[in-house]
Amino acid sequence: MISERTLRNLRRELRRSLLAKIGIVVVVFILLMAVFAPFISPYSPGKQNLDEARLPPVGFSTAETREVTKMENGSVVIEGGEVVTEERTVYTNATAAHPLGTDGNGRDILSRVIYGARTSILVGIFGTSLAALIGVLVGLTAGYYRGRVDDVLMRSADIMLAFPSLVLAIALVGVWGQAQAPIPDPFVVTGLAPAFRSALGFTTGMPDTVVLPGTVIVVVALVNWVWFARVARGEALSIREEEYVKAARALGASDGWTVLRHVLPNAITPILVLATIQVAAIILLESALSFLGFSGADVSWGFDIALGRQYQSTAWWISTIPGLAIVITVVGLNLVGDWLRDALDPGIEGEGGV
Amino acid sequence: MSLSRFLVKRSLQGLFVIWGVITVVFGLRFISPGDPANVLLPPDVDPEVRAEVIAELGLNEPLYVQYWDFISGIPLGELGNSLVTRTPVAARVLAKLPATLELAIAATIVAIVIAIPLGVISATRRHQPADYGATVFSLVGISTPNFWLGVMLIIVLAVQFDLFPTSQRPIGVDGIVLLFVSGSLGEAVNGLTTWLWHITLPAVTLGTYFTALITRLTRSGMLDQLGQTYVRASRAKGLPETLVRYKHALRNTLIPVITVIGLQLGTLIGGAVITEAVFAWPGLGTLIINSINARDWPVLQGSLIVVAVGFVLVNILVDALYAYVNPQVAYD
Repeated sequence: MISERTLRNLRRELRRSLLAKIGIVVVVFILLMAVFAPFISPYSPGKQNLDEARLPPVGFSTAETREVTKMENGSVVIEGGEVVTEERTVYTNATAAHPLGTDGNGRDILSRVIYGARTSILVGIFGTSLAALIGVLVGLTAGYYRGRVDDVLMRSADIMLAFPSLVLAIALVGVWGQAQAPIPDPFVVTGLAPAFRSALGFTTGMPDTVVLPGTVIVVVALVNWVWFARVARGEALSIREEEYVKAARALGASDGWTVLRHVLPNAITPILVLATIQVAAIILLESALSFLGFSGADVSWGFDIALGRQYQSTAWWISTIPGLAIVITVVGLNLVGDWLRDALDPGIEGEGGV
Repeated sequence: MSLSRFLVKRSLQGLFVIWGVITVVFGLRFISPGDPANVLLPPDVDPEVRAEVIAELGLNEPLYVQYWDFISGIPLGELGNSLVTRTPVAARVLAKLPATLELAIAATIVAIVIAIPLGVISATRRHQPADYGATVFSLVGISTPNFWLGVMLIIVLAVQFDLFPTSQRPIGVDGIVLLFVSGSLGEAVNGLTTWLWHITLPAVTLGTYFTALITRLTRSGMLDQLGQTYVRASRAKGLPETLVRYKHALRNTLIPVITVIGLQLGTLIGGAVITEAVFAWPGLGTLIINSINARDWPVLQGSLIVVAVGFVLVNILVDALYAYVNPQVAYD
């Protein structure tokens, strides 16, 4: 499926390109963060502590003018039966306990960024896989059979393309509601992560389920399968004319067998390149849906950006940090995509972005 | 195939796609759990009243009658009535359209004005600091969610430095034109300043992705053109370098760039929806989001149809333009 020559090209391009190396490091880092979240997250992402709300990240402090009770010699000042208050500038300093600060409900932002990676990666990988499955099936069928089948399938692809992907996604999620499936977190239910945490001295327990945003995954796939269909169709159109395909058919191989055994393996390279770019596009799409409050996710980078908006004049970091996490992840994926494209040169156009 | 036959064929395809779009939008209501009548009625309503409302909305008609009612009004510009306000959907969509178009056009202008020079500089000073700067900018630009960029611009430029307002659209181009026509020149100029002041951050927010994308395309297109034989020939015959670059190479680069700008208009509208949400910009995006939250079916369907049909029409236009400026194109 992936030839020796392809691997050689990949290695050569990787040696040459600093950006490709950076991309791989970033993507691997985010993946590890998502997988091992219950081991490394300092707190549970949902754990609130209103006494510690809006703590700034390490290296920053905030000054805020507040009305506070006037104190003299350690006791409250009372005049005419009323507690006297005064205006005072209250400085909030960062604490090492919350290196990236806390949000409006006193939840640890680092923990939310780590757990947010899971939502992004889950939607990115499952959404892209489902989109690829639908798109490749449609595209290979259209390209292999050509003629009327091709016309019908590709015209329906055109209809999908007439809707801006974000608008269609909003409409579909909006009308469908937000089905989510909590699945047990293997690291937590087996006791691996809790044991590791107590050995390190972490005290808070982790959520024992991972929320799989089912509707969002289906919707991003329905919106993005068309790109896979186009690429797969183009490949099938040229591969079906190859001698080995003709030979297979002459030997009596069925259409299904020919497509799966001969056409698909030879079309796989451009599909993989497209998939990499699509993971980035789908992560951006998920974050946009969550930002608008349509995804139903309560731990998601996009959702956290929206939550921070009400503190945009007092606590900039609440919106800023999850957004940086998105940018870093998507830059990493795009760099990997560029690397694959430069090394394999399938000559496809990518689409993405919100 | 001649240009006119190509256009006829393309228009017929477009018509088919538009029919498909309308049908998909019609079908959208049936995949939704819940009944449109519930939008209008309290849950404990008398069943007779309920049946009456359902009859009034035509929801008890056979499917093909509902479909025909839906589709037959559209060529006449009828998109039904809003469930919530009971006013015609077409009028509401039309009222919101200028705000979105303004935003989309302003963003496109921002993108073109920045991206094409940046791409050219990047290509002509390859492997110099300017090129690296432009490359990093375009990489980060295509990877940044625009709603987050909008929030960042608000935090820095509106909240911290108080240079721009955080949101709203107190006046539109239509209002400015009206003031201008009615002879109040001073107020028109005032209106224009207010408008520019309010649209800057949304336009930059929406335009950044396109700036990044077009910078990338212009750079690679220029590099490609500058390596062509005709460029070497022009240089060899002694044409000034500026003429070679800007008259010949750039012109040939721009043809595919224009096509991409046209094809990306869908992304632009999608981006506008979320940009409007960030800046409380009262356009189609805000209308779509509100209609989903209110379960106002006809408004959602009408907005989707207008957006998708507009996109199809623009694409046909771009294809025609492309075929016109580039005689080498094969019409198929």
